[in-house]
Amino acid sequence: MPGVRVTALRWVPPPFQGQVRDLAVRWALEEAGVAYEEILVGPAEQSSDEHRGRQPFGKVPVYEEDGLTLFESGAIVLHIAERRGLLPRETQARGRALSWMFAALNSLDPDVIALGDIDHFHAREDWAIARRPTVEAAVRARLAVVDRQLAGRDYLADEFCAADILMLMVLRQLRHTPIVDSYLPLRDWRDRCQARPAFQRALAAQLAPFARFAPAA
Amino acid sequence: MSNIRITAFKWAPPFAQGLVRDLRVRWALEEAGLHYEENLLTFGDQNLPEHRAVQPFGQVPVYEEDGLKLFESGAIVMHIGERCPALLPEDPVKRARARTWMFAALNSVEQHVQNLTSIDLFFPNEDWARQRRPGAEKMCVGRLDALVARLTGRDYLEDEFTAGDLLMVTVLRLLRHTRLVPDRPVLAEYVARCEARPAFQRALDAQLAPFARHEPSAAAA
Repeated sequence: MPGVRVTALRWVPPPFQGQVRDLAVRWALEEAGVAYEEILVGPAEQSSDEHRGRQPFGKVPVYEEDGLTLFESGAIVLHIAERRGLLPRETQARGRALSWMFAALNSLDPDVIALGDIDHFHAREDWAIARRPTVEAAVRARLAVVDRQLAGRDYLADEFCAADILMLMVLRQLRHTPIVDSYLPLRDWRDRCQARPAFQRALAAQLAPFARFAPAA
Repeated sequence: MSNIRITAFKWAPPFAQGLVRDLRVRWALEEAGLHYEENLLTFGDQNLPEHRAVQPFGQVPVYEEDGLKLFESGAIVMHIGERCPALLPEDPVKRARARTWMFAALNSVEQHVQNLTSIDLFFPNEDWARQRRPGAEKMCVGRLDALVARLTGRDYLEDEFTAGDLLMVTVLRLLRHTRLVPDRPVLAEYVARCEARPAFQRALDAQLAPFARHEPSAAAA
């Protein structure tokens, strides 16, 4: 994978530092031992035609490699994982890993994002106050399923794989709450994942520009 | 691939008919020309322990094939697509692009579409839903307009129909109770183009057929 480039954000407000989705891509690349160059963008570039040509929704990350441009952190992590041993090869194990990858992004992420959206952007609005308990209950129902899957296992699909990367990326959006800590296998799995040196390097790499580009107070 | 069996519902309420997520899997199997059997659950039985053992979130579909058990419609369509070049091209660059659109459908578009749809279908009379709806619609429209920009001058998200279009169309169908798609001719034509595929028609008919057979009688309701 020569010439890998990852597009990320120059700066985000503190609650989102450490959970922008290029984190999952950086982490997969670090696990795979692939060096990459970063391209940092801000709000003006994000809404430009040039960026929208690479990322139609104006978001990050974008992944580029020798004539291939990909967006969507799930697709990028899958692409890296298949080539670098972060997805089991055996059909049944691969199928389970794929199921958990999509579970993270399609069965958990919507409820988790809805809760974060309420807490970060609408906390004092009447609708959000009325709605929040139901959304938290929905998040907890989904987390309980993942927690059961992790009981007695170190990782979602036995060995560490791309599903763990995506699931942790989703659950880090609950960092402003104590919710994950109330599920013990889940909490231990989170701590196990976050202790991986590749995760630590990826996190440090996402955070480094935020310090350099922090707006003057 | 032999002995494929998918789990779906015997019957679903009218608002969900034609939208239940097994439609994605049936459509992919039809595009791939693969025969399958159905395991039909009574609506409500998706929470029984024996179903949760194969679908931990208590949803449908489940896909079974010679000992392989998959859940999550996205994962199942990916699995089928990997053996079907009409869904995922063999060229590695084209395949990676098609897969990017699969994730875009399920992770960037569906959450906003589903958020609006659940407000409209499940909470139409609640105060919080009335206050929230304009913001939810705005988020949804932002994603739809990005798709319009992409599809202007194109028949499909990439050069030819792929599993990315298949998933995107099933997501856009969730808005059928609104004017959001018809008011955007580029999107409406795109959805119509994909839904005109014979494989889609067969898949839709196959999802709806049991619903007609298992319609609850008025006396029982």
